[in-house]
Amino acid sequence: MRNGAWICLFAPLVGTVLIVLGGTRISRRAAAWVSTISVFTAFGGALWAFFALRSSDARAGITYSAWTWLQSGGFKVGLSVLVDPLSTMMMLIVAGVGGLIVLYSIGYMDGDDEERRYFAYMSLFVFSMLLLVQGGNLLLLLAGWGLVGLSSYLLIGFWHERPSAVAAAKKAFVMNAIGDATMALAFFVLIFHSNSLEFGTSFDTAQHLSPLAVNLVALGLLGGAAAKSAQIPLHTWLPDAMEGPTPVSALIHAATMVTAGVYLIARTHPIFEQARTVELVAAGMGALTLLVAGLIALVQTDIKRVIAYSTMSQIGYMFLGAGVGAYANGMFHLMTHAFFKALLFMAAGLVIHALSGEQDIRKMRGIGVLMPWTRWAFLAGGLALVGLPPFSGFFSKDSIIAAALHDHWYGVVLAGAGLVGAFLTGLYTFRLYFIVFPGEPSAFAREHHHAHHGKEGPLTMLVPVGVLAVLAVIGGWIQFSPFWHPLTNWLAPVSATLAVAEPTNTQEAIASVLAVLLGLAGVGVAWAIYGRGEVAVPRLPAVQRTLEHKLYFDEAYDALFYRPAAAFAAWLRRDFEEPVILATGPDLGEGALELGQGASRLQTGLLRTYVLFLGTGLAIVGIVFLVVR
Amino acid sequence: MSGPGVAWYLGISAFLFGTGALGVLVRRNPIIVLLSLEIMLNGGNLALIAFSRHAHNGAGQIFALAVMAVAASEVCVGLGLVVAIHRRRLALDVDRLSELRG
Repeated sequence: MRNGAWICLFAPLVGTVLIVLGGTRISRRAAAWVSTISVFTAFGGALWAFFALRSSDARAGITYSAWTWLQSGGFKVGLSVLVDPLSTMMMLIVAGVGGLIVLYSIGYMDGDDEERRYFAYMSLFVFSMLLLVQGGNLLLLLAGWGLVGLSSYLLIGFWHERPSAVAAAKKAFVMNAIGDATMALAFFVLIFHSNSLEFGTSFDTAQHLSPLAVNLVALGLLGGAAAKSAQIPLHTWLPDAMEGPTPVSALIHAATMVTAGVYLIARTHPIFEQARTVELVAAGMGALTLLVAGLIALVQTDIKRVIAYSTMSQIGYMFLGAGVGAYANGMFHLMTHAFFKALLFMAAGLVIHALSGEQDIRKMRGIGVLMPWTRWAFLAGGLALVGLPPFSGFFSKDSIIAAALHDHWYGVVLAGAGLVGAFLTGLYTFRLYFIVFPGEPSAFAREHHHAHHGKEGPLTMLVPVGVLAVLAVIGGWIQFSPFWHPLTNWLAPVSATLAVAEPTNTQEAIASVLAVLLGLAGVGVAWAIYGRGEVAVPRLPAVQRTLEHKLYFDEAYDALFYRPAAAFAAWLRRDFEEPVILATGPDLGEGALELGQGASRLQTGLLRTYVLFLGTGLAIVGIVFLVVR
Repeated sequence: MSGPGVAWYLGISAFLFGTGALGVLVRRNPIIVLLSLEIMLNGGNLALIAFSRHAHNGAGQIFALAVMAVAASEVCVGLGLVVAIHRRRLALDVDRLSELRG
């Protein structure tokens, strides 16, 4: 178990180091395979840890410490990894889906100028994410948290000659830094009260903290989770992050990193349970995000942005589930979402790749005729996303809505939001599908489509898509509440579902039936509007404009934060920099120059003057000694 | 302990040091200046050893050995400079070698 965990954590880092040290001495293809193999090695380690944990008695998890990482007085943090049900589940998802996506990247990034850098970053990202989920204490978790933000920044801005990519990378970094800061503040409160950042000690401390302190800690953690998981109000970076290469979007901005917030809530749930209000705020935040993102997704025209908003929306579901206390359901949706969302991104990547980088869905019409397998893969992902049985999303999403339903009037509101979200999901997913795939190929698609030796893409791209398509279909079958729940049982020792989030069988049934019906309704409406063209697209210019501006979040932040700061800086320049600093600067400089010239006259170049100075100094010291003594 | 007292040794040491210092100050040939420096250092060595015997403490003799090593390396550098100056056909006169004047 110990070896599996360490292999899992460090294999991707070894991959990065090898690629970096190899430099131009290894071919681009070799760098790609080094990265792929390193991530699959990590997956092997994760499997090892998983099976070892399954057969061991210590189901609640074991912490392995390598050495003391840092120490300050009584405060001590070890370099340790935690192997418990929650972390092994995340390890399997991160390394498994990550490995498939890195494999896919080999085909997608083929011919790019800086492939080696790309694959070094990819491995670095997987390492950071594994550090985040395996870290044996909160500080290592924060270290992984920050590294994940860094590698996300590097990968979004990978095409650094595009100004929009650089701006998007910066935006993602700043937004994430806000979350990192609130998390660090929460940790300071914890250190202040318990002098420790070990999981167990911190959770015990949280039981005795004053309500104010524990609420502050929970709020800080929630801030970090919301920033990383792109929940309102810290969500604006995720759609822009689509500037990165498509496999990056699939790995970081769909399958793994953005779900870190859900993992954080599930991991630190003892703290959140002491601050139940904050936890319910998280649930409400998720509900709001899933609605807003679903609405915005309806009007986007960039294929990746539609999927990005859908990701925000699905993470909203996970927050909703984790927020009401159904941690296992949130984690279950995290897993199925990793499968089908990575699949959707990669299928979209196949289309983009075949169309030489075109991302506008209005130009893609009819591409399904040219790429039938991609069409089926996308359809499988789309159906899983909408949550129709027997696709995976059905099992995970409905149980979240059912869990919310149990919690008084607030829960009913949340469940209602989830149901409306299901309708929106059906609508925007199949709007995308009907616009892009069926029908006669458009002139643009015919002209720009180029097949790879008669196939829809290189084999390295098709294999991961195929594997994920299968997983997107069957991945949800491992848990079907209320009939069997191995996943909930597996997670029970670390993140047991709260009693208030245990739905009755009736509630399960109601939630499932309503969600499926609403999802189908969404698909039907999309079909009527975009598939058949029978119903005109509703014309609501004001609403459409608002949605196209993403509810003016960017404009509001611009006016609230950027412009005041810029105005303040301009004022400083006009009234301080120019009259004070720039005016006194030259005087200071000239003064220093004159002083130096004066001093340089002492330097005669004659030995005897120096000896004279030496002797004089010696004499003065001697006299001072004699006198003072 | 037999022989002259420590004051005699110190007197000779001071005499040597003074001679050397005078040489450094007044002579202009760099070789002579180096030579005078050696005399100063050996004056210091004599004082160290005298005190070492006086105090029955071996540390001073070790210091003297260290000073000898320093002196040897210093002569290496100094003579190297003299040779370099000579090769460039510059005057062997410390007063005219004042390129470092500020």
